[in-house]
Amino acid sequence: MNFKKVLLAVDASENSTRAVEYTGTIIGRADDFHIQLLYVERPPERDIFPDESSWQDACQGERDNVLAFLEQAKNRLVEMGVKPEIISTRYLSSCDFYGSPDDAGFRGVAHQVMQVQKAGQFGTLVVGRRGVSKAEEFLFGSVSTKIIHHTKNCSVWVVE
Amino acid sequence: MNASARDLIARLMPSFPLKHSGKIYTDTSEFMDISYGDVIVLNSSSFLVLRDEAERRFGIEDPKYWVKRCRDLNTGQRRILKLVFYEKFEQKIGQMTINCYRSPKKESRVLDLVRGDSRFMQGITLKDEAGNPVRILEIILGKSLDNYVEDLDMDHRTYFHELFPEILEKFMGSCEAVKFMHDNGERHGDIRRDHIFVEYETGAYRWIDFDYAYESTENPFGLDLFGLGNILQFITGKGVHDNASLGREFYSSLSPDDFALIFSNRLINLKKLFPYIPVSLNRVLLHFSQGTYVTYDNVGEMLADLKKGLDDVASL
Repeated sequence: MNFKKVLLAVDASENSTRAVEYTGTIIGRADDFHIQLLYVERPPERDIFPDESSWQDACQGERDNVLAFLEQAKNRLVEMGVKPEIISTRYLSSCDFYGSPDDAGFRGVAHQVMQVQKAGQFGTLVVGRRGVSKAEEFLFGSVSTKIIHHTKNCSVWVVE
Repeated sequence: MNASARDLIARLMPSFPLKHSGKIYTDTSEFMDISYGDVIVLNSSSFLVLRDEAERRFGIEDPKYWVKRCRDLNTGQRRILKLVFYEKFEQKIGQMTINCYRSPKKESRVLDLVRGDSRFMQGITLKDEAGNPVRILEIILGKSLDNYVEDLDMDHRTYFHELFPEILEKFMGSCEAVKFMHDNGERHGDIRRDHIFVEYETGAYRWIDFDYAYESTENPFGLDLFGLGNILQFITGKGVHDNASLGREFYSSLSPDDFALIFSNRLINLKKLFPYIPVSLNRVLLHFSQGTYVTYDNVGEMLADLKKGLDDVASL
């Protein structure tokens, strides 16, 4: 694995913003890195909407929000001195993995991030962490905890 | 203007006092208007409304105006009709508050999935004229698991040695049923000890109420697992043992790690209270304790551990 290939997994949260800042600070003007900003889509739960159109609206709203965040994150990295040509962005739509034979989407965002890391041979994986209690982690899960436990052959930066 | 139900009732259920006959509803959107003596007509089926259902928890009766206890006028059978009610409310779980949603379409989907499976309540969905998916549920003649266990008039030792092995085995069947839901991309959503009914005739454990939905999380099975842990704690302890009931001297010998992760006043290291509980079973309980470093990711993991627990309980 090439540790200079950096996968920066974000979700448009403040934690992700901190992860972007941290990555920009560490990598700065170095030109032999590659940073991929990755967002794995977790669509709103369809069952909590009374009809298809309100669900579609919520999905679109979230998509717009994330795409804007990816753009801002890229701009912020450039502001911090990272060369634009070493930054790429990727929006992994749920259509790309829901219903696939090995994954029903139930395995969660962490699983998809690790799939991308492995397939792209990223040697460094960066995630933000919101800091949850043990009880919250049991009930709702934690992307960063799963990544720490299950990522192999890769350095993981967890930014708080 | 809804037509009178008088002629329909007179023809199909002449024993019903006609002075109480109400209106015919083919659109159930305004469910608050539908009450005793009204008839809900869905396709070719007609249901005479007898009363609104109510849920009793903690001594309080909570009416459910969108759930009607009915009589099928064509077959004479009793049925529960759940009308469409989109509700979002906050649910408090321990110190946390989460958004919970009522989803008729989710319950309809689950009813389709579990059709013919006696581990679950049975029912079908018919749409009314406004397109509302009305769930028509068979009534389970039985007692909720919490009432069943609490009504057993015996001390814990006798309960644990004589009745608990069978109760645990049946509960594991209920866990298998939840695993089946998860394997098929569904969640129960509201796993509580009063949502398992023990059927009078067969003794079978059957899950009820599948209409709760939640926002997406990284651990889609967490809430269901939490519910199963609570029930295991309840049936193993023959009730809930909390800081109020434990007695000052015994309570002072305990540490926070002995209590439940979410409901932090409930003792979950039950072996300290009942030393004859096998270590293997107690270990499963400790996965739900404040002291745990490992929690279950899925029901299959919990069941694998429970099998050893059951073997040890059965050989006491």
